[in-house]
Amino acid sequence: MSFLLACPNCGVREVSDFGYGGEISSRPGAGADFRQLNAYNYFRRNVAGVQREWWFHRSGCRAWFIAERDTRTNRVMFTALPKDVPPGGDSGPAEGPEPKRLAVS
Amino acid sequence: MSLEFLTLDAPAVARSPMERQARAAGARFEVRDGWNVAVDYGAPEREREICRTAAGWADVSHLAKLELQGDHGLAGVTRRGGAWWCPVSDRRALVLGARGSMPGPDETEPEARVHVVEVTSNFAALTLIGPLAREVVARFCALDLRPQATPVGSLRPGSVARQPGMVLREGEHRFMLLFGWAIGEYMWTVVQDAATHLGGGPVGQSALEGADA
Amino acid sequence: MSRLPEHPGERIDRQKVIRFSFDGKTVEGFEGDTVGSALYAAGRRTFSRSFKYHRRRGLMCCSGQCPNCIVAVDGAPGARACTEPLREGMRVEHLNARPGLEFDAMRATDLVGGPFTPPGFYYKTFIRPRRLWPLYEKVLRHAAGLGRLPRQQPERMWRTEYRRRHADVLVVGGGVAGLEAARAASRLGADVVLAEEGPELGGRRLVDEAGEGIAALAQDLRAGGVEVLTRASALGYFDGIVPVWQGDTLHQVRARRHVFATGGIEQPLLFAGNDLPGVMLSDGARRLASLYSVKPGSRAVVVTTSDRGLHAALALHEVGVEIAAVADLRQLSGAPAQDLGERGIRVLPRHTVVEARGGKAVAQAVLAPVGGEEADERPLDCDLLVVSGGSAPATSLLLQAGARTAYDAARGGFALSELPDGVQAAGEVAGAGEPDSVAPSGELAGLEAAHAVGLGDERSGARVPELREALAVARAGRPAVAVPPPASGARRGKCFACLCEDVTSKDIAYSVKEGYDSIELCKRYTTVTMGPCQGRMCQLPSIALMAQETSQSLADVGTTTARPPWRSVPMGVLAGRPIDPAKRSAIHGRHRDLGANVKWAGDWRRPYDYGDPQAEALAVHHGAGLIDVSTLGKLLVRGAEAGAFLDRVYPNRFSDLRPRRIRYGVVSSDAGRILDDGTICRLDQETFYVTTTSSGAGAIEEWFSWWLADSDLEVRLTDLTQGVGAVNLAGPRAREIISAVTDVDCSNEAFPYLDARQGRLAGVRCLILRIGFVGEVGYEIHFPAAYGEHVWDALLEAGRPYGIRPFGLEPQRILRLQKLHVLVGQDTDSESTPFGAAMPWIVKLDKDGDFIGRSALEHYARETPATSLVGFTMSDGHVPSEGAVVVDERGTPAGQVTSSRYSPVLGRVIGMAWVPSALARDGVSITISDEGQKLTAELRTRPFYDPDGEVLRS
Repeated sequence: MSFLLACPNCGVREVSDFGYGGEISSRPGAGADFRQLNAYNYFRRNVAGVQREWWFHRSGCRAWFIAERDTRTNRVMFTALPKDVPPGGDSGPAEGPEPKRLAVS
Repeated sequence: MSLEFLTLDAPAVARSPMERQARAAGARFEVRDGWNVAVDYGAPEREREICRTAAGWADVSHLAKLELQGDHGLAGVTRRGGAWWCPVSDRRALVLGARGSMPGPDETEPEARVHVVEVTSNFAALTLIGPLAREVVARFCALDLRPQATPVGSLRPGSVARQPGMVLREGEHRFMLLFGWAIGEYMWTVVQDAATHLGGGPVGQSALEGADA
Repeated sequence: MSRLPEHPGERIDRQKVIRFSFDGKTVEGFEGDTVGSALYAAGRRTFSRSFKYHRRRGLMCCSGQCPNCIVAVDGAPGARACTEPLREGMRVEHLNARPGLEFDAMRATDLVGGPFTPPGFYYKTFIRPRRLWPLYEKVLRHAAGLGRLPRQQPERMWRTEYRRRHADVLVVGGGVAGLEAARAASRLGADVVLAEEGPELGGRRLVDEAGEGIAALAQDLRAGGVEVLTRASALGYFDGIVPVWQGDTLHQVRARRHVFATGGIEQPLLFAGNDLPGVMLSDGARRLASLYSVKPGSRAVVVTTSDRGLHAALALHEVGVEIAAVADLRQLSGAPAQDLGERGIRVLPRHTVVEARGGKAVAQAVLAPVGGEEADERPLDCDLLVVSGGSAPATSLLLQAGARTAYDAARGGFALSELPDGVQAAGEVAGAGEPDSVAPSGELAGLEAAHAVGLGDERSGARVPELREALAVARAGRPAVAVPPPASGARRGKCFACLCEDVTSKDIAYSVKEGYDSIELCKRYTTVTMGPCQGRMCQLPSIALMAQETSQSLADVGTTTARPPWRSVPMGVLAGRPIDPAKRSAIHGRHRDLGANVKWAGDWRRPYDYGDPQAEALAVHHGAGLIDVSTLGKLLVRGAEAGAFLDRVYPNRFSDLRPRRIRYGVVSSDAGRILDDGTICRLDQETFYVTTTSSGAGAIEEWFSWWLADSDLEVRLTDLTQGVGAVNLAGPRAREIISAVTDVDCSNEAFPYLDARQGRLAGVRCLILRIGFVGEVGYEIHFPAAYGEHVWDALLEAGRPYGIRPFGLEPQRILRLQKLHVLVGQDTDSESTPFGAAMPWIVKLDKDGDFIGRSALEHYARETPATSLVGFTMSDGHVPSEGAVVVDERGTPAGQVTSSRYSPVLGRVIGMAWVPSALARDGVSITISDEGQKLTAELRTRPFYDPDGEVLRS
């Protein structure tokens, strides 16, 4: 009901301090078909279990970070800035390594 | 052309967003460093007493603030030349203090690794001072400000009265609340409501300076 | 007066008389009294009328557990007289009786209505005709109320102050176990808060020994830095936060460990007339005598399931109460029975009470052998019937924290069987309520809590097994101390399982017959356990009744889910500070001075107009207008790759924008939908100044920083929204006005449309953007917010000769609409694309590389959108509602109106609407259905005012 989350910059705060950015998903690359696009834009896996997700410390340092959380118990395995996130974790249907969401040319 | 328009150096008087409420509470103003500053509320002695025995709140929005972005190299909050240097993350820091205590360009941009923006009027600020100061803050803020969790000289970004904010512990009984300029009136109302209920009152710069001495 | 002679330990100060009023009559008590003890001493036996049947109810628990003495104090309903401290001049009133407490007209419901008003009666009976329900409801509420709230009350009377308290350990319960726990934890250096519900620390020790030794212990705690709260009720357990209500403060305690030493609650017995005034729990009777020196009665009958009642009989006898008889439900009584015998008081083994008789109060108690015949009944005259149905551990908070209970046959109740992490239990609630185990159990819990937060030493570590051993020995040597009471001893009349909601044993049986045969269903159907006592008095009895009716064991029936609040609590306690967070521009004070009509606009308070929106709009066309646009989002985007970043978050291009130039941009989502819009000004090679809509400021900053969060782009964001004030000066005389106060050359040649300049204005450094959404020559001036009033005043002053007027949001809406400028969020929704919103030119698919929404927009670029956003004018003066439906020739909804206004400069009604794309051409006539009216409008695809932007560029 009032679970706690540790911002990697600021430390432990109540969850109302944060904004939820949703589960991490893979952004389809150029030339994706409409079906892939819609799956990415509108469908969520909504897992009952451990997932990685985005959080934003809205009331504090205003940084985005990633949490690994069990959605059934609200137990948080870790929180980390994107650059410090350990590898692993299922990030969605796409193959390959942790996706950059926006290709930087 | 870059960011000159953010510099506060006009011959005009700069005003805090809480000025009207301070005036309504009986503040006597003086222009200092270009800012209209509440010097006292007509009873400096009583204000000092409030700071000693209960909790006084003082508008310190006029403090200069700089945002540093980049490799600031600050491990924790440090006090340099009267200014607080506060890391918010490893890439971002806030420097705040009286205008005269602020760093010059050469101090903030060693090899231009750090980029500086003046953010003085981004953040309004209230100082709460007195033995009940922490109790007053606890009335609208969930941050753990016990000495063991927030020792003197630490900055805690987090929700203050349901708004984004920061709390800087300046002393055993002295906290500075930093919050958005636009919520100044709201924050004054909240602090006034909470502090008055605990026997606190508004205090001017004189009382703050008295507490420093 | 029924005061006893002075004795040590009494809480009253007989030198200090306190006067207060009850139902308008003056009553006297002593300092230290509660309202309840003073009224009882003054002879009052009826304290309230019951919820449904309006039966008399009197003091029963004298410790704030039961609902019998709920009164209104100084107009605020909900106080319990038995724990409410007496104050000079306080106004106490009864709640639920008309015309008065002694004569209550609604008593008829009990006398005649009893058999006819089973559970659900009101809902079943008054449901038809349905239209009369509001009337029924009014009458029923009137009849069944628990008091009424005053229409007006000083704010501080109804709302509490929240107080955050972080701690290492929170101890709930200030009995011996709780105090020992707090002491043990704090001695190891823990930051401890202790919350006690009652007015005084000591728990059961207050009853047994008038709190002997407690004061010293408490003193010890306070000296050790423990924050001790009394009259402080823990309301619930919310994932580690425990709200503790204490008078005008709601402490939100977040502790790392919790010790619950919440004790046990003495249980009533069920028999006919068990709610009569004069039927009292044994602890209640003893509290009256020992703490307040009030003689609870002159002749008492005591009925008990454990030694507790026997001790009470001894204590009452000691203070001069004649004991008519003691009935013990057990076959063998404990040691105190001998002491009673020595005093000539007979203990009847295996006896119980089957009925209490009397009019206004108990006059007779009918005793009978357990399971005996009617012929064996023995009526005894008495004015006090002391009952003790054993003790139920107060596990509710523990259960909320995740503990479990199981039925304990030896004790006849549900006992703690499993504790969650982070939580300790101590004392009676943990099954360690006996004198030899309560202190060690408290100390153990305190040590374990302190150890869990990383405190302690070798000695404290070694103490733990010692204490465990001591507790085990004490437990092993203890015989079963109580028998479970029979579900009900009643053979006739009303026997109340639930005093709060007037639920009788028959109602429970009726509920089972109706099919509500699980305890959770029965609870919802009969409302048993849902009243102010929160199940303290009725949970166990209702489970026992359910077990009897369904021929199950209590273990099979089980308990209902424990939910907060554990104590009934006024809504105002939870309401918090009634101050809405509002953002205000640095110029807001001036708007008030000017009489602005201020309204909410998102998070902001903004001037809607200054009294005359039409005239304000016209002033912009004829002279000049000034609007405060400080609410615009303002983001500084800096870095070597700032341009590349903007190319990726906007569908159009910014890397090629020249310094000091401005370009309009629409932010779209990856689904190609419009999120926000604004202008982007390049200040220098590496610096862009981005404005967003007022409502989108926070979201766009989050959006940009999200895309940057895991990117390698060398880009830095700074949100300047609140630090920079902005005004828009617009109108044919704007150039003359601004030129009067700035050193910037504002001629059209030197400073053309969509250019930006920095300079001083009225002495203040400003960024001036030559843009405007209102159709006239305009300058958007940005400056440090601290100079807001100064800049505003200077411009109004300079504009005075030119007829300048401040204008608000409403005239701005009119002016924007004349230019067909899309208002994101008003004219667009979450499904609008730039193609549908008539802005295909904003999407640059020929750009290199990826950008947000690119793939989706490529798809949308290939197809015609179903609907398009266009302008319209009305053929008559009718202003259609925003949201009115555009219908096709068959009358089927095909679109909607998003904006509509009367334009004073055009002299007609204009608007914007989404219409089928096939119709989106100039001159097409459409039908708008507006609340039943059919209106005709003509479509326009180009701005109504200055369609080619000549004025704007001039």
